[in-house]
Amino acid sequence: MDEDSPIRSSAQAEAGVTPAFRLIPFTPPLTIDPHWALVEEGFSLAREHEIESICTVANGYVGTRGSLAEGTSLSSPATFLAGVFEAGDEPAASLALVALPDWTQFRVVVDRVPLSLETGDILEHRRILDLQHGLLYRTWRHRDRTGRVTYLQFVRMVSLHDRHLLLQSIMISPENYGGVLAIESSTEVQDERMPRIQWLPKLEGERAVIVGTTTRGVTMAMVDHSEVRSEEGRSVERVSEVQADGLIERWACSAHTSEVFRFTRLVAVYSSRDTKDPAGAASEHLRRAQEAGLDVHIEDHARAWEERWRATGLEVIGDETAQRALRVAAYHLISAVNPNDEYSSIGARGLTGPVYKGHVFWDTEIYLLPFYTFTDPPAARALLMYRFHTLPAAREKARRLGYRGALYAWESADTGEDVTPDSAVAPDGRVVQILTGTQEHHISADIAYAVWQYWQATADEDFFVAAGLDILIETARFWATRGRLEPDGRYHIRAVIGPDEYHETVDDNAYTNVMAQWNLERAADAMEWLRINRADAWRAISDRLHIKPDEPTSWRRLAEVMTTGFDPRSNLFEQFAGFFQLEDLDLEAYRARTLPIDIVLGHERTQKSKVIKQADVVALSALLWDRFPYVVHEANFRYYEPRTAHGSSLSPAFHALVAARLGDIRLAAQYFQQAAEVDLATHMGNAAGGMHMATLGGLWQAAVFGIAGIRLRDDGLVIDPHLPLTWKQWSFGLQWRGRKVTIALSREPGSVIVDLQTGGPMTIELGEGAEKTVTQMEPRCRYIAHWTGSRWDEWQVKLQL
Amino acid sequence: MGQHPSVKPESHPSGGAPAERSSTIMVPLDGSAQAVEALPVAQGLAKLFAATIHVVHIAPRRIPNEEICDTLKLTQAQLSSVIFNQPTGSPASAIVHEAKQWKSRLIVMCPHTGEEKPVGGFGSIAQEILPNTPCPIILVPPGRGQRPWSLRHVLLPHDSTPTSAIAISPVADFARHARAGVTVLHVASVATAPVEEPGTFPAPRYMDQPHHEWPAWEREFLDRARAMGKPSPEFTLHTVFCTEGIGEAIVRFASQHEPDLIALAWRLNLEPQRALTMRSIIRHAPCPVMIYPVRGMNA
Repeated sequence: MDEDSPIRSSAQAEAGVTPAFRLIPFTPPLTIDPHWALVEEGFSLAREHEIESICTVANGYVGTRGSLAEGTSLSSPATFLAGVFEAGDEPAASLALVALPDWTQFRVVVDRVPLSLETGDILEHRRILDLQHGLLYRTWRHRDRTGRVTYLQFVRMVSLHDRHLLLQSIMISPENYGGVLAIESSTEVQDERMPRIQWLPKLEGERAVIVGTTTRGVTMAMVDHSEVRSEEGRSVERVSEVQADGLIERWACSAHTSEVFRFTRLVAVYSSRDTKDPAGAASEHLRRAQEAGLDVHIEDHARAWEERWRATGLEVIGDETAQRALRVAAYHLISAVNPNDEYSSIGARGLTGPVYKGHVFWDTEIYLLPFYTFTDPPAARALLMYRFHTLPAAREKARRLGYRGALYAWESADTGEDVTPDSAVAPDGRVVQILTGTQEHHISADIAYAVWQYWQATADEDFFVAAGLDILIETARFWATRGRLEPDGRYHIRAVIGPDEYHETVDDNAYTNVMAQWNLERAADAMEWLRINRADAWRAISDRLHIKPDEPTSWRRLAEVMTTGFDPRSNLFEQFAGFFQLEDLDLEAYRARTLPIDIVLGHERTQKSKVIKQADVVALSALLWDRFPYVVHEANFRYYEPRTAHGSSLSPAFHALVAARLGDIRLAAQYFQQAAEVDLATHMGNAAGGMHMATLGGLWQAAVFGIAGIRLRDDGLVIDPHLPLTWKQWSFGLQWRGRKVTIALSREPGSVIVDLQTGGPMTIELGEGAEKTVTQMEPRCRYIAHWTGSRWDEWQVKLQL
Repeated sequence: MGQHPSVKPESHPSGGAPAERSSTIMVPLDGSAQAVEALPVAQGLAKLFAATIHVVHIAPRRIPNEEICDTLKLTQAQLSSVIFNQPTGSPASAIVHEAKQWKSRLIVMCPHTGEEKPVGGFGSIAQEILPNTPCPIILVPPGRGQRPWSLRHVLLPHDSTPTSAIAISPVADFARHARAGVTVLHVASVATAPVEEPGTFPAPRYMDQPHHEWPAWEREFLDRARAMGKPSPEFTLHTVFCTEGIGEAIVRFASQHEPDLIALAWRLNLEPQRALTMRSIIRHAPCPVMIYPVRGMNA
């Protein structure tokens, strides 16, 4: 990066909305920055489901898969409404995210034959996901069996500026023929395997209103207005037909050769989670949206996206693939969250697909939340508030299992009750017990960790006092009763599952116990901080939660005698009691496999071997780096990494993170690539049921916390860069306690540029060990440090921003 | 994201009743007992498709009519229900030529006879016909005898690649004609490296929460199979995990479930280290094997 030029990503964003976007959807999408575009050329039926997931447009309130509007024999269009769940039809089916009627359906019928990618000749077909502006484009030139060529251009968006508003615009032009073009649009439930809702459609003038209510009492309303106009200004008459669970609108366009018709559809969505009268609110919202006009909505939406990117940055010079993977990851992370909703969280596949039914796991706090904490604190706060609001269910689960405090659901939906099933049918037909719901308890510490990290990064005292403390205290209380002080004088937590789910019902899982220990300590710290700094709040919370005066002390005592499995001679944590006695298998011998290792080895042998599903002890290095010295991280990573089979998509990103912090840039790059390929590789189909949100969050952490080596200090941030060989420059944006910081790292020659854009002064620590430098930086200044070959040079202040 | 290379079936979908095809089934006979064992299978198929069987025999000298039955080990009844052709030249070329000339729906033959030692399950003639065939080939395992054959159950191994999916539609049509059931078999082997072909949908490498992942994978696998096999046939899906080769696992499954036909898509490559699964199946299959040639994709 040129030291005297502003950081490019910021400068681009400062320029505001690219003028070309004012014209959308009426110009071809030629002005999209290719570095910000995900392009799918041609048509491959087999890949449709994964492309639909990747091309989802969403805003955290509502998300629509990137399905082809006219459908194919392998299309699964779905629009999900965050936080609205319904039970499936099968008796054992647990709650699943509701799919709204598909509002994107559209087809052109020429001479009674619908245009389809599966018939006739595709002369041109391209989908472009504009990551920068959250717009999905499509161009399609098609020749039917009789030689008629039709050109179509599509654009759709789910507004980030106005989360209730959805928009679709399509241009249709008969290139070499004239006659009657029949245009049909419909809004119907497409996938019968989604939870069934009784939808009631009706017409209100030119608007279509569809209302449905779940058995849990949530009413949803979609109001749609569609129209077709010729470019010459002629409006085309519409015929609307109400059907059982949707409606169809038809236009017959008398077209001459090359005439252009435009179909536009605006949809407003509300639910009774937002307002008492969702249909009325949606109608009124749509009326106002129509008045404002299409261009305004697109411009506002594009500007909202640029605003988010301004805070996030993400530019990798020298490795286009890594840059694209990071931008795709951030695109979906931004799309998945709604900072205005404290009562829903992000499911394992976000709003991009039906798999995992919208259920929320520990993934959200450990893998996703850091992205929001450091780039969009209000979003992080909303996600943590979901855990605050679901505390009653977590308390009830703890009580049911015989403990105090709060044990969060392993799989959570709307109320926080655990929706993990008790059993499932394995691929070989066996019914297997599912133990995660009753044994995988580390989630309570994971949520406490996220609360603390958010507080440390944002200093959001209002949240901490009003909600975060409750979570910290109640989870600490759980840990204080979950284990037992045993005759050896140590506190043991028995019969759990750690992140390595290959080993069930184990004692003293290192990850669980160290995180529990940390949770107990932080809860005690928090009470101490509150007593000293906010005595009024301390008294109120003590009363409200019935905290006994000696309770924090007892937490500290238990933390001190917690069994962690750490051996100071070897610097190794034993993953759980007895792990070191298990069979050692050489995973290299199984490298060529396409299957998870537990399928290859079988359940029993896997349980008896040292083969690990995912980062477990290694995850401690990712989360608690400053708690242990470097040698401990090094020893454990070198021991556990070769024994990890990465049977979970969560695993590669955390391995990339820790490998980078250890300075093993070759291995870090390899794991980074593996994580990037989870959803983007074209030959695995992983994304078919939705994007792997945790992997995407992990990828961002690998790049920011691993490769850039960002860590929190009490008074600022640590930067400890370890750039892969192909990354010439790496820049990104962060927020820390109200300050906006842009950090740019260069590989050759090694340099770090920090732009402290807003807020007060903060400390930046650069490097590790003896070479590190610690500097207090002033706002609106650029600081530059160079690597001399053996250490970081003194910071230079180059200019006032 | 990228463009998916085009994959096209080498020939018309067998059983799809394309208008330009005459309804003939080519059966090469060389006078061996193994070769004539293909005939009951051809007869079963001829009945199914109302097709005419063309028996092809290539020999240095023309067989007098009165010697045909003895030479080819046919009964009079068998001979009377077929058209008998005696082209000349290289056997493989002549068979391919005849199949092209008569726009045959299928070639039904023995993979090898007792005259020579088979290489990788194939005799030299089958080996030469395979890459050049204009239509699917059904290879009838030696030793099945003259038992009548009918089609009730098709086993369709599917490695989840778009190439292999090409066979789904014609096989589904084939099965629909016969009102036969189709079992789609996906074999995931420990010993097999990942396939790089875009659009492939192998058993999931990542199994974050198996009770969510497995049903989703099975559903997606079937959705893709049905979409490729349009109009949607009903499939039963079996997933087999094995530690041996995929071919061996398919044969083992076939031995347990007794299908009447195993249908395979094949990428037209018989180089020594290619088509190992197909070779293994041909060598050990307990039933006839239909090979559906697919062009346009590197193996």
